[in-house]
Amino acid sequence: MTERPQKPSALQRNLLFVAVGAVFLWAVIGVGIRWDRLLNLPERLLDIFGRMFLPPDWSFLPTAAEAMVESLAMAWVGTIIGAALSLPMGFLAARNVSGGALSTFARMILNAIRAVPELILAIVVFVPVAGLGPMAGALAIGVHSIGTLGKLTSEAIESIDPGPVEAARASGAGLVAQQRWSVLPQVLPEIAAFWLYRFEINLRAAAVLGIVGAGGIGALLANTLTYRRWDSAGMTVLVVIVGTIIVDQISGWVRRRIIEGSDGQPRAGDEAIADPSRTADVAS
Amino acid sequence: MIRFENASVVYRGGVHALRDLTLEIADGEMLVIVGLSGAGKSTLIRVINGLVPLASGDVIVDGKSIAKASSKELREIRSRIGMIFQTFNLVKRTSVLDNVMMGRLHTTPWYRSLTGRWRADDIEIAMRSLERVDIVEKAYVRAANLSGGQQQRVGIARALAQEPSILLADEPVASLDPPTSHVVMRDLQRINRELGITTIVNLHFLDLARVYAQRIVGLRGGELVFDGPGSDADEAVFRDIYGRSLTADDVLETSPASPSL
Amino acid sequence: MTKPAPAAPTTRRPSKPRPSLLLPLGLVAGVIFTLWAAWTIHFDVARIAANWDRGITIIGEVLDVDWSFFPRTVEPMIQTFQIAIIAAIVGCAVALPFAFIASRVTAFNRWSMTLDRWVLNVIRALPDLLYAMIFVAALSVGPTAGILALIFFNLGVMAKLLSETVDAVDTGPMEAAQAAGATHVQTVRSSVLPQVLPNYVSFALYIFELNIRASTVIGLTGAGGIGVLLGAQLARFNFPQIGMIIVEIFVVVLLIELASNALRRRLV
Repeated sequence: MTERPQKPSALQRNLLFVAVGAVFLWAVIGVGIRWDRLLNLPERLLDIFGRMFLPPDWSFLPTAAEAMVESLAMAWVGTIIGAALSLPMGFLAARNVSGGALSTFARMILNAIRAVPELILAIVVFVPVAGLGPMAGALAIGVHSIGTLGKLTSEAIESIDPGPVEAARASGAGLVAQQRWSVLPQVLPEIAAFWLYRFEINLRAAAVLGIVGAGGIGALLANTLTYRRWDSAGMTVLVVIVGTIIVDQISGWVRRRIIEGSDGQPRAGDEAIADPSRTADVAS
Repeated sequence: MIRFENASVVYRGGVHALRDLTLEIADGEMLVIVGLSGAGKSTLIRVINGLVPLASGDVIVDGKSIAKASSKELREIRSRIGMIFQTFNLVKRTSVLDNVMMGRLHTTPWYRSLTGRWRADDIEIAMRSLERVDIVEKAYVRAANLSGGQQQRVGIARALAQEPSILLADEPVASLDPPTSHVVMRDLQRINRELGITTIVNLHFLDLARVYAQRIVGLRGGELVFDGPGSDADEAVFRDIYGRSLTADDVLETSPASPSL
Repeated sequence: MTKPAPAAPTTRRPSKPRPSLLLPLGLVAGVIFTLWAAWTIHFDVARIAANWDRGITIIGEVLDVDWSFFPRTVEPMIQTFQIAIIAAIVGCAVALPFAFIASRVTAFNRWSMTLDRWVLNVIRALPDLLYAMIFVAALSVGPTAGILALIFFNLGVMAKLLSETVDAVDTGPMEAAQAAGATHVQTVRSSVLPQVLPNYVSFALYIFELNIRASTVIGLTGAGGIGVLLGAQLARFNFPQIGMIIVEIFVVVLLIELASNALRRRLV
């Protein structure tokens, strides 16, 4: 009879759990949660929930809807700016298009832009430039989007099939013509899908930018909350939720049509949207 | 004992996977089911433990009706029926032992199954099952690191850990090479004889069926077309079950010299 | 002289297929929509032309970082960390049942799956800052509001990511568990969870990164962390100090990204 093997040591795994637990404890104690407040937290939350949604202030609907539309417009303009400017940036940052140094430099710029949250961009730079209001928000969203979309565009370009590019070069086409006819058609559906997904995210950003004076529904919500007009705030939140879901559904439908319609079958871009880890890239 | 009473299964689209099947299997029997793909072999096996619902008729397992069983009763019946699969169905990322312990889930309380802290006597049962199929030295090895034959033996150990009275094997050797196939079939035969577990095996390969079956049941188009001892199943019988002449694909081991079965 | 034989009939040249109307229609709609949107937000290029130098000046002042401000940023930064950690751990833990119920592979039934998916859609429709605003108004200024806001935010992200992963698992081991008489929860725990665990940890790390970025700004609504300090500096137009904070946020996010990439590689 063969001898039974020894159970392997679970030390590493247990240490990991202890470490995570210790960090959690440190965070909880350090952050200074008021334990007495914590106990009546659920009660308080339910109370506010009731005041906001049961019932919401229906008469506030037109105001809220108008504000949501303003945020929508802000997000769209911002996405267009981001998409338009990220396309050339993406080509510049792609290693297989521009040379090593140039593409590295371009990537650095893109990373720097991505790192600054829209909110900060808006307040610090664009409100002074464009004044308070949704235009500043659109510019902030636009500039920030260049960062993320530029990175994704360059990655998409780097993963193309080099065959058609070679063919174009062999037939004597110049650099721009090569890009236009052999690279662009390959990547355009995938990139367009990124743009639409970014629009969905930008809508949420636009909703938020109102806090710093960029108008839209964020400002409205801040206002109603400051004056504790809970039912109006509740209506506003509902409008945000419904508006965002509707836009998500439409955008998702169009995205799927783009990906499938490009050659009748789901392509690599499909994975980018369907693959959760890539979804994460678009959301940063 | 397992008794089929006019059992019928209809899949979506109107496909009759089993037609009016009546069959009795005594305790401790070793039964092999043969037939073309789609003839109903997999369906027949899965009706016994309720993985596939009956359209009409019934299957009585050890006195309990499958068609009328509640989900709780069904779980209880299943705990006494072990099953092994063509694709082994092991959890590749976990150890061999944790895979075998899935056979003890039916008696494991929720807090133990959630955290993976098994009872000592359950671990003992699992270890003994692994010893019975001669693979205990791999107890803490990740399942993905084993060969096909080894994975199937773990599958058998998992089924044995349930301490079952019935063992169902759905094409257990279809993914294995000839020598390993014989090892697995011999293991099943040995388990049937030593532990008296009723064993029902779907087989694709006719030479294996002839060698290892006490009793062969042939299905064609969801209907029972043959039921008799292995020795009675000759070439003509198989041609009848398959509805066509036999080919090299129907046999596990063909040498160039010998004619196809 | 014989007449030349008549030419053999050639294949008819196909006429150019009528182009699909959808794409140009979509583009026209897009352009019209863009023009409408630009008009709605009073997009005025002239204003940019007039004021862009102001923006440059500010950027210049921000880039003139006040490094001596660093000590004052340490404590709020630590609080940012704490908020991010607590929200990540709690949010990712709570997301597990939501994720399993939302996936068609592991859901209890159609009804609960659909309900769960819609609940998650609603939760994900609100951005983190809106949650922060609501909780600050409901509770009071402080990190608790921020933690709660991020928990909701994390729940939405993790549940969606995880349920999509669960949708793609190998269902064979599930059949084996069911055949052995396991309950639904036992089946999921023993045959599905081990398959998605690496993804789960990877997502959790990603969510932690998101939290760090988010908790830097939710302070602007009063929900704790370095955003509170940032808000104070913004109110006083202290651009060099703002620059310090931005640099710090940048460095911290970069470090976290590097660390979690390294951790992720060790997982795989």
